[in-house]
Amino acid sequence: MWSKPWKLPEGFLIGGGLIVAGLILEKTNGPVAWNAFAWPVNGIVVAILLFSLVLMHAMRKKVYVFRFLSTYHAAIPALVLTVALTLLMGLTRQRVDGRGLHNMLTFWPFVLVYVYVALILGLVTLRRIGQFKWSQWRRDIPFFLNHFGLFLALVTATLGNADMQRVKMIAEQGQLEWRALNDQMEVVEMPIAVILKDFIMETYDDGSPRRYASELEIVTRTGKDFMATIDVNHPLKVDGWKIYQFGYDTAMGAESRTSILEFVRDPWLPAVYAGIYMMLAGALLMFFGHKKRKEDEV
Amino acid sequence: MIWDYFIYFAAFAVLLWIIGAWGAWRGRTALAVGTTIAGLLVFLAFIISMWVVLERPPLRTMGETRLWYSFFLPFVGLLIYGRWGYKWILSFSTMLATVFICVNLFKPEIHSKTLMPALQSPWFAPHVIVYMFAYALMGAATLMAVYYLLRGQWSVLKKVETSSRPVGMLATEDELDSLDQLVRSGLAFITFGMLFGALWAKEAWGHYWSWDPKETWAAITWFAYLVYVHYRQLPSQRTRLSLWMLIVAFVLLQMCWWGINYLPSAQGVSVHTYG
Repeated sequence: MWSKPWKLPEGFLIGGGLIVAGLILEKTNGPVAWNAFAWPVNGIVVAILLFSLVLMHAMRKKVYVFRFLSTYHAAIPALVLTVALTLLMGLTRQRVDGRGLHNMLTFWPFVLVYVYVALILGLVTLRRIGQFKWSQWRRDIPFFLNHFGLFLALVTATLGNADMQRVKMIAEQGQLEWRALNDQMEVVEMPIAVILKDFIMETYDDGSPRRYASELEIVTRTGKDFMATIDVNHPLKVDGWKIYQFGYDTAMGAESRTSILEFVRDPWLPAVYAGIYMMLAGALLMFFGHKKRKEDEV
Repeated sequence: MIWDYFIYFAAFAVLLWIIGAWGAWRGRTALAVGTTIAGLLVFLAFIISMWVVLERPPLRTMGETRLWYSFFLPFVGLLIYGRWGYKWILSFSTMLATVFICVNLFKPEIHSKTLMPALQSPWFAPHVIVYMFAYALMGAATLMAVYYLLRGQWSVLKKVETSSRPVGMLATEDELDSLDQLVRSGLAFITFGMLFGALWAKEAWGHYWSWDPKETWAAITWFAYLVYVHYRQLPSQRTRLSLWMLIVAFVLLQMCWWGINYLPSAQGVSVHTYG
């Protein structure tokens, strides 16, 4: 044990150490407070993370553990622990007001394991960029897309979450509405106002909804004024917000004169989508590409 | 009613696909590829007619979705056959396509079943179809893993030995490499299914990932297959362990696919239960 080169047991010990550290943090600090990561904190954290990764990569010849983190012997235990903790999440009922296993997203061991995966992804990406060869593009480009894409999506989705705004607007037919409710049921004033012209509802023969949609006049603080129809699955994009058809007065059913709209703003979405599209491209190349084994020094 | 003609198109297509599958077993590549393409064209003709008659893409009902599975299974089967020349893949894809066709023939009432607005999306079919194909590939990989484990056990019991595979060896390097190709294509399709789902969820529910129980289990399954793929990159490994990884991953996949419907922790909180 701990004689170099480190293998899977050392990888599992490092991962296990993280879980113990997570349990201690959970005990002493309480659950992870994601709201604390709102802009600009998340921006600073991303900058520090990228800087640390480059630094760790640069020092990999001197510091063995940095070198070890970009090997399969580190990655496999990290993935096994990710499966294990996500499995716990899948088997335990999650509650918004839950603690520990009942709210895994704020449970330190769970968060630290995903941070560890992101760290490894960052380091293997840097290492692969350093070793990139055009003659090996069929291996190196999919590798980069898969690993960096997941890194980007994971990091920006997690840290950007605190900047995401989701509010509900209850629009009554014929009335101008610019107020919305956030998750804490507080009234927020929106930069976009709507007038519900008509709530459209079509039903199947058995009475279940076939389609529901809102015909709206949209008036924005930026001076826009236009008509739009918002259907389920067809949100409207305006001034950095996406407006969704969320619900209606179910007691009234097809006669509802009330439409519930959801406004969503997620400034980090382009970065997350860039990661997702990279992973899609990576998966496509993985399918059509060919695989060579045992060519990597570990 | 356009569905009344389905049986004729389907029977003709399945016949052509069976000839293709037989051709693949007999090593007659041109016959296999030709008849499979012909079967696909017959089936596609029905889908296009349906599109025209309904004046909308036939993607709305479960029956219509199964129509697309039945089309895409031999299609991707053909891609894999062309790429790696597995003799069995066309039989496998034909069999699965036939199962879905039979469900459509024997449960026709499902064609008129209503579809809630959230499911009425262009993402619906690709999301489900690529997942179903990935499940089919992973099912095949699991069967191979079980087969290699049993065959290894058998060779130890009966002291069976071949030139390429001494007693106790579960599978040759070539066999394991083919298995890897299968898992990697399955993983590519699982990735497509998961990310199509994320892009769709953003349009339908306002967020691309909400840790809904189905999403949580999709992540578990995805990471479990990543464990296998990364483990197989190690310079030295235990074959028995890697084959068991595939079996465990497939069990997790079953949980994701239908098992969560019976899971207490997932009751009443998933957007993926449509009754």
